Amino acid sequence: MNKPASRWASEAMRKRIASRYASEKRFRALGLAAILISLGFLAFLLVSMTVRGIGGFSATFLTASDATDPELVGVWGALKGSFLTIIVTMALAFPVGVLAAVYLEEFASRNRFNDFIEVSINNLAAVPSIIFGLLGLSVFLNVLHLPRSAALVGGLTLALMTMPVIVIAGRNAIKAVPPSIRDAALGVGASRMQVVFHHVLPLALPGVLTGTIIGMARALGETAPLLMIGMRAFIASPPQGFTDPATVLPVQIFLWSDEVDRAFVEKTSAAIIVLLLFMLLMNGLAIYLRNRFEQRW
Amino acid sequence: MTNEKQPITTNSVVPFPSTAIAAEANAPESPTDKADNLPEPEGRDRFPATAGGQPNIHPDLDTGATPKMRADHVEVFYGEKQALKGVSIEIHEDKVTAFIGPSGCGKSTFLRCLNRMNDTIVGARVTGTITLDGQDITAPQMDVVQLRARVGMVFQKPNPFPKSIYENVAYGPRIHGLASGKEELDAIVEKSLRRAGLWDEVKDRLTESGTALSGGQQQRLCIARAIAVDPEVILMDEPCSALDPIATAKIEELIHELRGRYAIAIVTHNMQQAARVSQRTAFFHLGELIEYGKTKEIFTNPREQRTQDYITGRYG
Repeated sequence: MNKPASRWASEAMRKRIASRYASEKRFRALGLAAILISLGFLAFLLVSMTVRGIGGFSATFLTASDATDPELVGVWGALKGSFLTIIVTMALAFPVGVLAAVYLEEFASRNRFNDFIEVSINNLAAVPSIIFGLLGLSVFLNVLHLPRSAALVGGLTLALMTMPVIVIAGRNAIKAVPPSIRDAALGVGASRMQVVFHHVLPLALPGVLTGTIIGMARALGETAPLLMIGMRAFIASPPQGFTDPATVLPVQIFLWSDEVDRAFVEKTSAAIIVLLLFMLLMNGLAIYLRNRFEQRW
Repeated sequence: MTNEKQPITTNSVVPFPSTAIAAEANAPESPTDKADNLPEPEGRDRFPATAGGQPNIHPDLDTGATPKMRADHVEVFYGEKQALKGVSIEIHEDKVTAFIGPSGCGKSTFLRCLNRMNDTIVGARVTGTITLDGQDITAPQMDVVQLRARVGMVFQKPNPFPKSIYENVAYGPRIHGLASGKEELDAIVEKSLRRAGLWDEVKDRLTESGTALSGGQQQRLCIARAIAVDPEVILMDEPCSALDPIATAKIEELIHELRGRYAIAIVTHNMQQAARVSQRTAFFHLGELIEYGKTKEIFTNPREQRTQDYITGRYG
């Protein structure tokens, strides 16, 4: 048997160490490259949009709505439409999604029926958004006769789409709450409702909010389902309420990008900048909220 | 988590008669006389035979005294696996009862039966009868929330809520409506922390998070939390296994002080600890209760070979 001292100082050992360092270096380089590639695309998008769209900004652009003349178009109507739509989506998808997650995780017993629900929700999250548009069309417009191309219907449709995302994220967040906290609360005689609402949910809230951010960001950028329920109409005045005809930013961008007039290219880019800023603002707000509710233990 | 609404299956159709009545039926003479005078061989007969043979219940043990809790032929199944095989035991008000035995012998499982924490484990099934002051706690109509307020629990790993020290202690009284105002709640918090021997260390930082305390302090906070709802019984599941010797000594001291005020049942791996803190010791092995008697007797003069072997460190 070699003595340890000579074993660790041997040539083979030095090579082993060198190769370990080399592989670590390679991995770092690879990871850095991966990040740079995605950041590069984002930077390209931002720069090209800014260069092309910066000239499109004006007082009119920020206060007006859609028009036939590219000089008179504005983004305000679509922005307001997006805002109203997202409020409806949030008001519906967040509570329903969280309640469903709490029920499935804390109250539902494990049986066939609940397994089926679980699989269905996972599938629902993967359904293409255009299908949700068709669902909204047939249920909200044809059966319930809600107003066509309104923020209300758009919000409802997007809520159907967002809910499964929130349910899945919510369940994971609830699962991550240590069982010892549940034991502690049960041990002093808390009911299951009290365990959930006093302890589990507050601790899971940051995770739930993260899921909600992802869901909302997706809903905010969604175009296809809204086309199906008539939100692609030409809306020349900003919506006054949830039931007024409205359009949303991504749809507006889609419509302008289809225009033949070259002047619309500039307006399209400017609208994209507004949409990105809107998303950034929402995500920032959500991250702020998440950090506020974060509890350490 | 499982469905708590699922009824616990019990063997008995008729609710188990209160122990007082049962004791009277067995012993026509005054039960206290019996305990004092003759070592009563009937002591054994008070417990039905278990699946794997008779447990050795020391006959001179608390005969006639009304137990706080009484388990009768308790069996626990986790799915197909049987974790407890017909355990019958009594826990007395003014005593600390220690459950010892090698890992996986069912002592923690049994402890968790006493406040129905096993309800929360998927696939766990409990049969037999457990009474608290003669009331069958395994009955489906027993309110588990109230039961757990009456039978408090301290867990193996300190698990304070990630809230302030004050909130940790105040939580129980608050959800049970034990305090009618802020002052009363403050008083309960102070009293509980004092009893847990933590008040002097934390009185100036009640608003700090309970998780910021050291491990030993956290465990004492958990004990304060448990006694804040003024339970009748406190169950401790290896409360010192995650603590250093100094913190352990403090908890043991605390157990001594709490004795008399609460019936205490403690599960421990540490035989010295069982010898130090308890007056009664039950030895479990492979899901069976092997021997139950006065702690001194169990440790100095065990009557079962397996107890002897475990205590002398031949296995475990």
